[in-house]
Amino acid sequence: MIKDIVTYPSPLSVEYATDVRTFNENLFALIDDLKDTMKENNLDGLAAFQIGSYYNVVVVKDENGEFLELINPRLISHSGSVTTEETTAYYPGKTVPITRYESISIVYQDRDAKDKTLKASGELAIVIQRKIDYTFGATFIQRMDKEQKERFELSLEYGVDIGTADYCPTTFKRDKIITVINITMILMALNFLVSLFLSDETLLTQLWEYQLYASFGVLGLNVIYFFYAQYEGKQYTSCTSCQIGNIIGTATISLIKLSVLMVLSYMFLKP
Amino acid sequence: MARLVVLGGGVAGHTTATFAAKWLGSEHEVVVVTPNSKWNWIPSNIWVGVGQMSKEEVTFDLAPVYAKAGITYYQAKAVSLNPEGNESTDKSFVTIEYTEAGKEGQSETIEYDYIVNATGPKLNFDATPGLGDGNGQMGDNTVSVCTADHAVHASHELAKAIEKMKGGTRQKFLIGTGHGMCTCQGAAFEYIFNIEHELNKAGVRDMADMKWISNESFLGDFGMGGLHMKVGGYVVSSKLFAESLFAERNVEWLIGAHTSKVEPGKVSYELLDGTMGEEEFDFAMLIPPFAGVGLKAYAKDGADITDTVFAPNGFMKVDANYGAGAYENWKASDWPRTYQNPTYANMFAAGIAFAPPHIISKPMSSPNGTPINPTPPRTGMPSGIIGKAVAHSVCDLMTKGENAHLHEASMAEMGAACVASAGKGVFSGTAAAMTVYPVVPDFEKYPGTGRDTDYTFGEIGLAGHWIKHILHHLFIYKAKLNPGWTLIPE
Repeated sequence: MIKDIVTYPSPLSVEYATDVRTFNENLFALIDDLKDTMKENNLDGLAAFQIGSYYNVVVVKDENGEFLELINPRLISHSGSVTTEETTAYYPGKTVPITRYESISIVYQDRDAKDKTLKASGELAIVIQRKIDYTFGATFIQRMDKEQKERFELSLEYGVDIGTADYCPTTFKRDKIITVINITMILMALNFLVSLFLSDETLLTQLWEYQLYASFGVLGLNVIYFFYAQYEGKQYTSCTSCQIGNIIGTATISLIKLSVLMVLSYMFLKP
Repeated sequence: MARLVVLGGGVAGHTTATFAAKWLGSEHEVVVVTPNSKWNWIPSNIWVGVGQMSKEEVTFDLAPVYAKAGITYYQAKAVSLNPEGNESTDKSFVTIEYTEAGKEGQSETIEYDYIVNATGPKLNFDATPGLGDGNGQMGDNTVSVCTADHAVHASHELAKAIEKMKGGTRQKFLIGTGHGMCTCQGAAFEYIFNIEHELNKAGVRDMADMKWISNESFLGDFGMGGLHMKVGGYVVSSKLFAESLFAERNVEWLIGAHTSKVEPGKVSYELLDGTMGEEEFDFAMLIPPFAGVGLKAYAKDGADITDTVFAPNGFMKVDANYGAGAYENWKASDWPRTYQNPTYANMFAAGIAFAPPHIISKPMSSPNGTPINPTPPRTGMPSGIIGKAVAHSVCDLMTKGENAHLHEASMAEMGAACVASAGKGVFSGTAAAMTVYPVVPDFEKYPGTGRDTDYTFGEIGLAGHWIKHILHHLFIYKAKLNPGWTLIPE
């Protein structure tokens, strides 16, 4: 039976496929569905995962165009690497250069549950690797480097390859300032907790002084963050004005945390 | 007054003995027989193995702790069990052989009302020619991090390798499993990335070739069939995660491998696809397979009943279904619940010492018939939980009588967490924190992977590394029975 192939943006299940344990009619029906769907869509390979089954089953066409049924396949060894333009049914119409192993050796089971081995290279090796990735819940996007992945995601969003276009990033250098602020406040909170178990006045005076200086530091960092974040946002033309709301919100949350810490320290820590 | 004898003072044995002593009070006696004088927090041996911690930081003397808990302590190893007694007594007893300095080799018998076998494993180095020395100990060709002393030795060898690299000699590092039937891939995974971290710190990473060798059928199996990881907001399977981690850090890998022979500077291996190969090395840390410690059992008339009490691999038979047969018939309910020996009701096993009904991962073998698959992990959290449940059962049997309800802790119904560190720096360290639920997949309850995917995931980052640090101090604090120890979970 011809099945619908899961395509973007419908999410693939994040679960990895489960190994087939029982080799029965249900498995054979699944394999037939995979073959029918491949024929209908003129595909070289299909993982059961792509038609909504969680079983670890892959069907590919070998060099002679014959169907090869791979049940519970595992990629055991590899050599060389090759970059080719790949397409996959999950992202219809997309072609992307992907680097994979040139030659591979796999173990799998046939429909009689017999253990088999297969050495493959060229096109067959590439399609098997892509299908095995599907059985682990991955598409070729996980084989891209960070930059390529960002470009590809943009092309998915806007429908065209706009790899060179400007876009508003999701992470900024300013986040590092927030990390420093958070670490300082965690240390202040620890300081406060420790002070609850201390009674030595000199020590408590020192701790209070630390809290005071640290709070000035956090305050100063918040001011720096506020102005630097706006400057950084302006470097990207596609960053919208909602940036400022985000920046004010982040700074306010940080200042509220600081205020709570300092009020508690003033009440319970200050000798 | 009844007597409980606990064989072994590792995670499972120590948990059983200390809880039993607390719950039984002074009305009954708790005895611990363990060949070691020190308790070892094994997960931190990884840091000892790279010279970032000393042996003293991961071990402590057992004698004062047991004295504090009112536990009778014998530094000795158990040799045999006589569950029916012998010709001169009807009372069950265990024969021990002292390992304590000054009394080495002396034998003694200890009678018991109940016994818990928590001996842990024998590190079966000799299963692979050249991995062991032929006398059951580690050979000269490789290092190990399985014990604190092994880890100290490994750190010295690592320091020598680093010196050689500083002197301009390239070094090849081979880390992983030393046999096709090993468990504990996580420990080797931690070790290879800790070494990588240390080599970077020493400025010699570019002089090192690093390779992983393992019996997993895919990278990221971790002996439990894989899981998915949350990495920087993305969700990926542990296979993809591990492959990118290895590639990022320029570590090559060999998987589906049975290490068949170790020679100086060279291992021979067989892969799942039947390929035979050799790999050279300058420094190798290969985890040995585990076996039972080799306890014997005798009937009242002196007949050898070892086969009745123990499985062929030397682990003790418990209330598991050992007749499950082929892979497709395996069920979660095959796994034991009470850890009581089916023949002798006053005998229990906890931790690695119990015989599992079958493995967890898919059984696989090469075309030559060599089995190559991870064996079930039973360390850490599951060991502690099982140890506590067994202590509960035994205490109830001793105080309420032999019809008392037994407490249950099936690995098919418990979760486990593990943290695999990849470097020890306070701000530069990273670690993969992973949780699985349940440890043994239940395909009937959770169709598909057999696991609850909401509770089976991993995450990598600095926070995981801090958790590993916190756990180190927390569990040593607990094992020393410091105030509030019972509140700290297993």
